[in-house]
Amino acid sequence: MKEYAVYWGCMIPHRLPSIEIAARYVLEKLGVRVREVENYTCCPDPIIGRFIDRKTALTLSARNLALAEELGPELLVLCNGCFETLIEAVEALHDENTRTEINQILEKVGRKYQGAIQVRHVVEVLHDDVGLNRIKEVVQKPSRVKLAVHYGCHLFREPNGGDIWRKPKQFEELLRVIGGNPVLCDHNRLCCGFPTSHVDPEYSLRMNLLPKMRCYKQLKIEAVVTVCPACTIQMETGQRMLRKFGLETSVPIVHLMELMALAFGMRPQELSLKVHRSPVEDFARRVFG
Amino acid sequence: MEAERVLKAAGAIQVVKKRDRKVEAAIRPDRIRTVASKLCSHGARFIIIAAADSGLDIDLIYHFDLDGLVVAVKTRVPKESPEIDSIKDIVPGAEWAEREASDLCGVRFRGGTNEPLVLPKEGALETPPLTRAFRVLPAEVAPVAESIASVGATAPLTSLMERRRQEAGLEAKAPMVYATEKGTKELTELIKQASFTERGGFDPERKKLRGVYK
Repeated sequence: MKEYAVYWGCMIPHRLPSIEIAARYVLEKLGVRVREVENYTCCPDPIIGRFIDRKTALTLSARNLALAEELGPELLVLCNGCFETLIEAVEALHDENTRTEINQILEKVGRKYQGAIQVRHVVEVLHDDVGLNRIKEVVQKPSRVKLAVHYGCHLFREPNGGDIWRKPKQFEELLRVIGGNPVLCDHNRLCCGFPTSHVDPEYSLRMNLLPKMRCYKQLKIEAVVTVCPACTIQMETGQRMLRKFGLETSVPIVHLMELMALAFGMRPQELSLKVHRSPVEDFARRVFG
Repeated sequence: MEAERVLKAAGAIQVVKKRDRKVEAAIRPDRIRTVASKLCSHGARFIIIAAADSGLDIDLIYHFDLDGLVVAVKTRVPKESPEIDSIKDIVPGAEWAEREASDLCGVRFRGGTNEPLVLPKEGALETPPLTRAFRVLPAEVAPVAESIASVGATAPLTSLMERRRQEAGLEAKAPMVYATEKGTKELTELIKQASFTERGGFDPERKKLRGVYK
């Protein structure tokens, strides 16, 4: 099995470390060797990064990529936002002039980006490199629950004009192979509203989260599965605020890594699920005991 | 060259000869009276002050003529406190130019007249007509941008989450740039080198963006 540099980003370790714990367990169970990128910064956030200043954002991304390059040729990320930021940075830095300009800044702090790293989302690494058969072998407790799939907008980003549905479909296949039952919801592709929540929280709730959560309630969804910590945070904190729109919901929002760890036999109490703001801990105890 | 020597002697930060008959100098705003005095004592004639909004600051370019050579002395005042010493007692003709810059760009000239010149005295505008909104980033996203620029993360790690991480057997701090003093210094230097301090208005000492908060 290949070795990857792993980049945790900032939302996972700072807001949802249960995803980090779960991912470490899942990767180890599957024999995926990782070396952690250290001393890194935020990717930076794909929305805020655009507001900040292109050169500054690209410099921070290039520094992260340079740190990862020292560890190996492939960088594994567990957040849709980090994935988009870093693949866009790789693409921008293919241009020799841009790379030279950014490297001139990096050189001032003793760093250099060579341009030789490939950024991989955890979904594609698990699906393509580990394989569904290997994953199936490790499953001890298939969940067999009705799940909604929330892909997250940035999962549709595909470098070099590839099929934008490749990773979302892989995500669904991964859920099925661990025993989940993903159901079709009209609003699966709708954004969770996290980016717009920065500037207009009410709009993001009304236009994004409200139709999604209504749909989940009608379908009697037992949990929503994401592959992005930002989507998880938005859906957990947001659904509490939907009362003012007349909707009471309390749906567990769980990251794919957490669901896989539970399916692989990790006990719920080992996952530190109390960091969640939706009833993920109750869901995990009920389904995985 | 005479003009370059005079400007350097008066404390100019940089002097550049733009073309045959033009020299540009950059000075700190607190040097304006010294520079104006030195130039005038060498026979320079005051031409005009051009004021322009550069986003975070107001640029002031004082133009002089020294023996047929245009000497453009550029300085910059922050929009938070757009103030500079008046030179009207050194060059009486500068008064009108100062009043125009005051009217149109809101610059306050200490010791100057600061009376409206081109705008009516009554019904003054809320903001000077040739200035743009200060903000370079929407206030709503500023805290995240400030956190990225100062600790390298979208939000600092809370003490509660540090405890949660430790309870779960993880390192208290994520292996991010802020975890070490060396890393933090590197981030600060990088933000400076990428010119986010100048273009984005990030103040590394206050860890805040300029112009976002009142």
